[in-house]
Amino acid sequence: MTKEQSTDAGGIRVRGLSKQYGRVKALDNVDLDVRAGDVFALLGPNGAGKTTLLHILCTILRPDRADEVTVAGHDAIRHSLRAREAIGVVFQEPSLDDRLTLRENLEFHGMVYEVPRSLRRRRMDELLELVDLVERRDDLVRKLSSGMKRRLEIARALLHDPRILFLDEPTVGLDAQSRERIWRYLEELRASRDLTIVVTTHYIDEVKGCDQVCIIDHGRILAEGTPDDLRGRFGTETVRVTPTDIAAAEAIRETYPTATSGRGDTLLIPITDAAMKAEFLRRCGIHVRDLAFETPSLESVFLSLTGHDIRDSEADARDVTLAFGRQGGELTR
Amino acid sequence: MTYIGATPVRRRIPVVRYMPGIGAIWLREVKRALRDRGQLIGGFSRPLLWVLIMGIGLNPYFRGEVYGEVRFVVPYTYVQFIFPAIIMLNIMYTSVQSAVSMIWDREFGFLREVLVSPLPRWAVLLGKILGGATIATGHGCLVILLARFANVPLSPGDVVVGIAFMFLAAFGLTALGIVIANRVRTFQGFGVFANAVILPLYFTSSSVFPLDPALTRAQTAVLYPEWLVLLVRANPLTYAVDSLRGIFIDFNQFDPSLGPLVAFCMAGGFFLVALWDFRKP
Ligand SMILES: Nc1ncnc2c1ncn2[C@@H]1O[C@H](COP(=O)(O)OP(=O)(O)O)[C@@H](O)[C@H]1O
Ligand SMILES: [Mg+2]
Repeated sequence: MTKEQSTDAGGIRVRGLSKQYGRVKALDNVDLDVRAGDVFALLGPNGAGKTTLLHILCTILRPDRADEVTVAGHDAIRHSLRAREAIGVVFQEPSLDDRLTLRENLEFHGMVYEVPRSLRRRRMDELLELVDLVERRDDLVRKLSSGMKRRLEIARALLHDPRILFLDEPTVGLDAQSRERIWRYLEELRASRDLTIVVTTHYIDEVKGCDQVCIIDHGRILAEGTPDDLRGRFGTETVRVTPTDIAAAEAIRETYPTATSGRGDTLLIPITDAAMKAEFLRRCGIHVRDLAFETPSLESVFLSLTGHDIRDSEADARDVTLAFGRQGGELTR
Repeated sequence: MTYIGATPVRRRIPVVRYMPGIGAIWLREVKRALRDRGQLIGGFSRPLLWVLIMGIGLNPYFRGEVYGEVRFVVPYTYVQFIFPAIIMLNIMYTSVQSAVSMIWDREFGFLREVLVSPLPRWAVLLGKILGGATIATGHGCLVILLARFANVPLSPGDVVVGIAFMFLAAFGLTALGIVIANRVRTFQGFGVFANAVILPLYFTSSSVFPLDPALTRAQTAVLYPEWLVLLVRANPLTYAVDSLRGIFIDFNQFDPSLGPLVAFCMAGGFFLVALWDFRKP
């Protein structure tokens, strides 16, 4: 990627970025390039450093060390106010005023971002339409469901027509239908505007439609590329089998120590080449009730890069709450 | 979807440029306060209680009492005497309430929406404090509605000057509340701290008892112990209350120019401290 592409008005360029919390390296010498107009996904388990990275890009957190942090053509550390004018942010946890109505929340945002009155009104109607909340516009925000709040936050982040939209885990905690809906809006936005979208998630299935995917774990970027590219480079074919009984499962595990347990009582065994496929069928065919060969998936990419399944690292609700608390304290100090 | 062109970028002098943003923050504070029934009820019932119970109850004991050779020279009834102090009490409570909203914003995420906006920190803080001061002044005005029952005759001029001074004092107190809120990070902690600050400040501001300057030091010492006199003189609120008395009942215990001076210094000083706390990202 050339420098022109990444540092133009809608792109992001990061070099040598580090941030440490006590002894925890939240970000460790991160380099990142986001091209203007892309939907860019940051994929990583809880605690990977996604939020930390996003907060630094949004200029509300200072890195310990950075050679370059350029957001929408502005130095995010030295000219943070300029950078802020060009970005819209949807934080991981809601940041709406729930004692105001939907319209009042949008109105507030528009005034703070210096959007002239008539333009503000037009965009408010347009954006409420986009996220299907027109009928609710005079309700208090506290009466909305969490999915609706998320949608309102997306509308609000777009009110000042930013070049880059950041979304931190926009679908976490939502039901399948709301999650799908939010991705539909993002698709629509990508199609209709000159907008770069940076979204973090720990759901692998969500990043399949993104232009670029960046896999992050323990504060380090492990790989970056299009979903196909990643599958080609790091993915492995696997065979998913349902053993006939527990003894059979034991026998398979003994022969193939690389086997991991998958959904239900299935086992997943990475297949390295065609010969291995044939050999597997010959040796273990009698132990299995059901069997399917799976082409390289992003799950397997993640597994081979990090050595663990993304679901293993999902923190429980209490940890997440505690992390919010800590973040809140830190940011506002 | 129709797409409406980019936001025009205008660069003007900061205070003018950020006016809409400061206004938005101010408006939000005021709207929230008006929707908060509990706060409004408190703003009404507190002064009513003070005027009716304290004021009228203590009235007969206030005038013409003689302690040895010393005689009070306060030419007012007790209700009249504490009336300006009740205004100040209402302002204090409400100012502190605004500081609570700061903690609220931080806990529930709204502060981030503001911090990530292109509004500079000083503008955010200014909007917040102006909002808090407006609400507090409003609550002070609720007390003025009771002036008739307290036998305090008011001219329109007094009211205008009074409100201006109330606003100045409210600004300083709201800024003080925010300074405290920045140091205490939980609601519970703030409650304890606020109570430890509000009531002592109020009671030692010569609000409920006079500290008559016409008396000699020796005479004062007959009435009050030395430590209490020192506390009252050291308390900046004493001078604010004194100013309000000067405006509303024409009675000053101290040099009348001290009040506005002290209030002005409080407003500026606490604003700067709050800004200092707020600057660090
Ligand atoms: N304010 C903080 N204080 C201390 N540690 C923090 C703070 N914020 C994040 N961390 C730690 O930094 C690491 C990265 O966190 P985060 O960026 O929130 O991850 P993610 O958003 O990917 O779940 C985690 O180990 C987390 O515990
Ligand atoms: Mg996060």
